[in-house]
Amino acid sequence: MTLRRLLALIALASVHASAQILDPAKLLSPPTDTWPTYNGDYSGRRFSPLTQINAGNVNSLALAWTYRVSVSTLRGVPAVQIKSTPLAVNGVLYFTIPDHVWAVDARTGKELWHYSWVDQGGHLVGNRGVGMYGNWLYFLTPDGWFVSLNATNGKERWKVQVADARLQYFTTMAPLVIRNHVIIGVGGDAMDVPGYLEARDPETGALQWRWNTEPGPGEPGAETWPNAGAMEHGGGMTWLPGTYDPELNLLYWGTGNPNPVYAGQGRKGADLWTCSIVALNPDTGKLVWYFQASPHDTHDWDNVETPVLFDAEMGGHPRKLLAQAARNGLFFVLDRTSGKSVVTAPYVGSDWVERIDSNGQPVANPKKDPQPDGALLNIPGSGGTNWFAPSFNPETGLFYVNAERGHSLFYLTDTDAAPQGYAGDRQNLWSRSVLEAIDAVTGKIRWSHEFFKGGNFSGILNTAGKLLFTGDPFSNLIAFDPASGRILWHFHLSAAVTNGPMTFQLDGKQYLILGAGDTLYAFKLPRSAAESPGGSGKRPSAQ
Amino acid sequence: MLPSAATLLVALTCLSLFAQSGSDVPERDKNSRLQRGREFLGLGAPPDPAAAARGEKLFARNCAFCHGSKATGAEGPNLIRSTLVLHDEKGEQIGPVVLKGRPDKGMPAFATMTPDQLYDLAEFLHQRVYETANRWGYQVQNIVTGNSQAGRGFFEAHCTACHSTTGDLAHIGSKYQPVDLQAVFLYPGTKLHVPDKLVLTLPTGERITGTLKHRDDFTISMVDNAGAVRSWPSDAVTVQIEDPLAGHLALLNVYTNEDMHNVLAYLVTLK
Repeated sequence: MTLRRLLALIALASVHASAQILDPAKLLSPPTDTWPTYNGDYSGRRFSPLTQINAGNVNSLALAWTYRVSVSTLRGVPAVQIKSTPLAVNGVLYFTIPDHVWAVDARTGKELWHYSWVDQGGHLVGNRGVGMYGNWLYFLTPDGWFVSLNATNGKERWKVQVADARLQYFTTMAPLVIRNHVIIGVGGDAMDVPGYLEARDPETGALQWRWNTEPGPGEPGAETWPNAGAMEHGGGMTWLPGTYDPELNLLYWGTGNPNPVYAGQGRKGADLWTCSIVALNPDTGKLVWYFQASPHDTHDWDNVETPVLFDAEMGGHPRKLLAQAARNGLFFVLDRTSGKSVVTAPYVGSDWVERIDSNGQPVANPKKDPQPDGALLNIPGSGGTNWFAPSFNPETGLFYVNAERGHSLFYLTDTDAAPQGYAGDRQNLWSRSVLEAIDAVTGKIRWSHEFFKGGNFSGILNTAGKLLFTGDPFSNLIAFDPASGRILWHFHLSAAVTNGPMTFQLDGKQYLILGAGDTLYAFKLPRSAAESPGGSGKRPSAQ
Repeated sequence: MLPSAATLLVALTCLSLFAQSGSDVPERDKNSRLQRGREFLGLGAPPDPAAAARGEKLFARNCAFCHGSKATGAEGPNLIRSTLVLHDEKGEQIGPVVLKGRPDKGMPAFATMTPDQLYDLAEFLHQRVYETANRWGYQVQNIVTGNSQAGRGFFEAHCTACHSTTGDLAHIGSKYQPVDLQAVFLYPGTKLHVPDKLVLTLPTGERITGTLKHRDDFTISMVDNAGAVRSWPSDAVTVQIEDPLAGHLALLNVYTNEDMHNVLAYLVTLK
């Protein structure tokens, strides 16, 4: 052990004396009394083993408290929306909107502190939340600053600039902490900048490694670009938190669309490693394998959706798998040790796909590329899904996603040989939101529930209480039976669910927390229901 | 199922209400879109258009040979994606480079440029950056590329059960810009509110007809034929819905791009 490491451990131990420290072991186990990271744990499943709230008593679930943020407007966006999943650590919830972080008492919803940032540009489209290490929180600002706060009082500890907002980069993701690495990604599609993912030191913010979404000239992958200029301006943003397998020590990350966004004529080739799932070594940032979900994307279909990790038996053999419902309308299952395809199956319309090749990758139909006079596709313009969190339930073996069915037009507006920026536009024609339960091994849709309009941006939570919580596009919070899709309970909110619901147990009570517009909602059972046999933490009987 | 005549009447009324009434409307819409985009992107104040116009002429005479007429690069680099240009406010970073040149990279000095000219040049470059970054200002190009005869054939085969070019669709080609017409003929719901019609049956057996106002998994509400708004729990009633746009929805799975462009080419002739 080096002296530096010893000192760090001593420092960590002394901070332990204060109340807010996150026990690193919590990051490695399923979330119960703690929800320590964006997805609850490293797997991205958003599955809680808690059973106090369950299918037998969910009808009694009642509002515990609400917390409405004190910010009513944000520059350039129509409404204030909590898109972050709160962390729950030692009875405190930490959550964000762009430029703001709050700590509230998980028992009462009372504000403990509020941190605000004055941005100098950047996009205020959303913020996914904070990361936590010891007593420290990590927050990304719209204009590309990486800020560390003291979790006890919300005081700024330090800040370092990690992206240049003048180049139209912006940062929204919840930092992901793996041991002593804080992993952060970037966004930015407007000016053809290259994407990257970084690991930063939790004590100082100093750069540990940077993985670039595009290779350099002469490096492997460069052959998928026509020239160095296209590669230097090739996009591929890294704006949603990835997942991590501690046993394999592999970090899994989805990368965004290539740039220029809708115009492919200046970047002929597959455009690696845009629109891919990549596996990196979290200690070095070195690429271990990749799978490209949309070679040469021309539809703005970022492939950043959560790569969810699970194990399953296939043909009598245990397999370490990874599944993603991609924005391009395809459901991918990969072997997460190798990145080799196991299943590729459409979960919404995918007439842009001409065929699936022997590697499980789609080959695009060129007629469905954006055209100056319009191309008609049987998928919504924003794709089959987007940032809202999916969920995997190990008890049903199903992968759940809030999907969107529809039709749209794609236009190419910049026909120059060297186009720039978005270089095109899209027009949604018709769409419907649909909650889909997909067999995570075969890719077949087991059940689906179509809502009566489009535009559902709610995340999903599964619990061992045989419940699936999500929102609909009409401001209802709904509990579904994850096995059958039957609705068991609902509650009408002040706005539609805008984040991923999460849950934890505190003082023997299970809380359900979600964000809807500018308000955080907390639910729990009334004492009588919580103490009934079904609510004692035992598994509910089959319904 | 194709739309019924009664619902078409509703659609038509909406069509004429929403058709663009004056030429200033698109311009005003475009400006408000641009402003929305500027705020969202954090682009700051828009470039000075008069200075940018003067700068464009200066650029064409002095810079375009190397940097391309749109400043997207030729022999010399693309200036729109230049880090220096993107960090410049009003010529304070661009100006010195123009004055001194970059002899090591083959760029000559333009030592006689006045401060005003440097400002104008910088504003031109900022205008070009703005046009690239602010996608709310992008213009769809000419989309009337199809064969109107073939479009007429498609229309007669698929649309005339509900629509008539001398009735509901008379002059449709002069009511919309082509890009809006393409969206609206594919699916009128993109521009118009066309409510579903329904027949609702109460547990008593009573049947109520009207138009749908709201439907989710828990509540249904409607405007009945007498104009009253009424609501029920969804599971307390049975409903028969008639979507007047069902024919349009079904055709979205039928059109090829060519069919779509041909139909548009035909509809724009209905002036």
